[in-house]
Amino acid sequence: MKRIWSYLLLVVGWMASAVVAPVSVIAFEPTKPVEAVVHTGPGGGSDIFARAIADLMQKEKLISQRMQVVNKSGGGSAVAMSYLAEKKGDANTIGFFTGVWVTNPLTTVEAKVTISDLTPIVRLVLEPAVVAVKADSPYKNMRDFIESAKKSPNQLKQSGGSVTGRDNLVRLVIQKATGAKWVFVSFPSGGERIANLLGGHVELMVIEPQEAGEHIKAGNLRVIAALTDKRLPSFPDVPTLKEQGIDVPVIPQARGVLAPPGVPKDVVQYWEGVFERFTKTASWKQYLEQNQFEDGYLKGPELSKFFDELAKQMREVLKEAGAKVVR
Amino acid sequence: MEALGSLLTGFSVALTPANLFWCFVGVFLGTVVGILPGLGPAATIAMLLPLTFKMDHTAAIIMLAGIYYGSKYGGSTTSILLNVPGESASVVTCLDGYQMARQGRAGAALGISAIASFIAGTVGVLGLMLIAPPIARFALRFGPPEYFALMALGLAMVVFLAGKSMIKGLLATLMGLWLAGVGIDLFTAESRFTFGQVELLDGVDFIVASIGIFAIAEVLVNMESRGGTELFKVPKGLRNLLPTLQDLKDCRFAFLNGSIVGFLIGVLPGAGSTISSFIAYGTEKAFSRHPEKFGTGVIEGVAAPEGANNSDTAGSLVPLLTLGIPGSNTTAILLAALILWGFKPGPLLVQENPGLFWGLVASMYIGNVMLLVLNLPLVPLFAQILRVPYFVLYPAILGISIVGVYSVSHSLFDVWLLGIFGLLGYLMRKLDFPAAPLILGMVLGDGLERALRQSLMMSGGQLAVLVTRPLSAGMLLLTVVILLVPLVHKARLWRMKSVEQEI
Repeated sequence: MKRIWSYLLLVVGWMASAVVAPVSVIAFEPTKPVEAVVHTGPGGGSDIFARAIADLMQKEKLISQRMQVVNKSGGGSAVAMSYLAEKKGDANTIGFFTGVWVTNPLTTVEAKVTISDLTPIVRLVLEPAVVAVKADSPYKNMRDFIESAKKSPNQLKQSGGSVTGRDNLVRLVIQKATGAKWVFVSFPSGGERIANLLGGHVELMVIEPQEAGEHIKAGNLRVIAALTDKRLPSFPDVPTLKEQGIDVPVIPQARGVLAPPGVPKDVVQYWEGVFERFTKTASWKQYLEQNQFEDGYLKGPELSKFFDELAKQMREVLKEAGAKVVR
Repeated sequence: MEALGSLLTGFSVALTPANLFWCFVGVFLGTVVGILPGLGPAATIAMLLPLTFKMDHTAAIIMLAGIYYGSKYGGSTTSILLNVPGESASVVTCLDGYQMARQGRAGAALGISAIASFIAGTVGVLGLMLIAPPIARFALRFGPPEYFALMALGLAMVVFLAGKSMIKGLLATLMGLWLAGVGIDLFTAESRFTFGQVELLDGVDFIVASIGIFAIAEVLVNMESRGGTELFKVPKGLRNLLPTLQDLKDCRFAFLNGSIVGFLIGVLPGAGSTISSFIAYGTEKAFSRHPEKFGTGVIEGVAAPEGANNSDTAGSLVPLLTLGIPGSNTTAILLAALILWGFKPGPLLVQENPGLFWGLVASMYIGNVMLLVLNLPLVPLFAQILRVPYFVLYPAILGISIVGVYSVSHSLFDVWLLGIFGLLGYLMRKLDFPAAPLILGMVLGDGLERALRQSLMMSGGQLAVLVTRPLSAGMLLLTVVILLVPLVHKARLWRMKSVEQEI
């Protein structure tokens, strides 16, 4: 019975937290529960990532305060980013970024806050991706697919997410390098993307190795290329694009942590320290392995450089694809 | 027979005291979050996720699934009593449920909603248990053209929701379709009708609009015509508060309809339970002997959508468990939970973890019984709320609506939006525009447009793709038939009139 009440309390507390506005305090260590802002609703990729990290950090006792995930979904990532910008100087707030935080402001006029307005803390993971086709498809490797796409331009289809997402950017750079042309069909949810591949409505999909793994074991899918610099440990037989003679830049899907603008130096150092210790823990290593993520640890000026270069790369790719780039 | 043996194993898992306890915790929490407008199962499960790491995984999935289907039981409560949709799948329930409450039949409406949820929920679990793999394979045949046809079929339901004037009904639908277009366009990443507002980039939240149009407008209309201090009649005595045998008889078809429609639409990853509740309502009206009475407090109009949104939860677990494909926010979190616990969701999940799957299935039978036992005694209790005098009840409805809307996204913008939609709903009531078609347009607009554009991208701009595929052609044909119903009806009336005149 006691447990029920504690859960109920949690629900009530969560609702109450919606009403009580946080007060900003500056200190070496968080003085109250840390707000971890994510740009997706409950169940979205960033939400799940942040909740897992919050849990692991508590397990490792790296942080004295509770880390509370706050969902600020909307506008790609614009709502979460402007929320963070409003929290200027707040030491008890952090945000979980993904590549979308870099690309979204490039095409969205309304998204006034860009990633360079925020304070970089740490990049945590790089999510690898592979190219998958149906198991009974005639394409044994990426070259097969590209030859076929060249023979009949815009007949083959790829399922994916938003046009500014990584999967479309991958298509754009390959198209540019090879001259092949195929169609990109957007689906809002990952479930629909893979359902359309399995149902044979599209021929190709960029997919995360973890998601593809089980379908390969069951004989539903085949992986024809790794979108990484080196072959993936989980797919030792699958060659990278470069190995197949398709020389295109690897487009990273990064996840990590940011702070609001104007945060004092000691706070930045505190967070950098916490995450540095965190990335050395065994439970973090286990988490990376379980999800087949690459360790993407990067901080400080290198992280800012990474953002700048990514933005530059994206801007070019998007422009060439005919998207309206606004900044 | 193999299933029966496995099910017995499942029951041996689900009936352990610990698992029974967690099942109860899940369905109880589910009922609570279902009743609270705004707070939904997805947010609740996400919040509880960290607590499940230390739990036995089967117990954890039993509890989380309990929250999911339990919330569908609670969702109808505020729809019926206060005209405040508890969640998106219970919006249609407002149409007849609230009218029943006004006639002093709130208890019957709440009771039938629990019974329909129980029956359809149980049928849904039967479906999950017996035909999950083949039905999941069938669902994969749904590509964009099929989804377009399904959405068009859903939109055709407007002929059953329009009320007196078809023109006003169609205008309201168009308005809903337009509202669905607000926000960033998935295909070009350009924003539409946002007027530079960051908050509108994600579009107008459908639950905000429906709470405004239903609940706020209702309060406004009633404030104008305030009468006595007691709102509705609430009959005394437990017997008068529960559905009668005649009610149950009237709902026979609704139970069946809700079960099947809900399950089949739940299986499709791109559809969603709101759509299933609308289609079940439309189907119910289409086959009813007294379709003209729908919207005035018909008990089948509550039973069908409430059944559908429950059967839908079992349906949506089909692609999740057999293919690792989530079809909704809530199933996406369940998928994440499975991964975090170290399972490998995908086509082999059931084969590799029979205890998990069959334990879950068995617990869902048990959970549905628990929910019925939990919810029926609450009916008389909830029905008493309507004894509260209007000067207390109306501010309370406003309060619940505002807190509910705010808790969805923690955004004051949404509260303003709620006010705007309240005024819009008030105007529509004054001008005799039906609200349901607008909501239908909002629910389907996004999917309809998306599926059409996806289909055209796939076919290189050839519209023929919509009719050359048998499944989509069949559904589009059905759509045309439904759209012709009112015309045929009119023609018959006209002929009857002319015959009368001749005599």
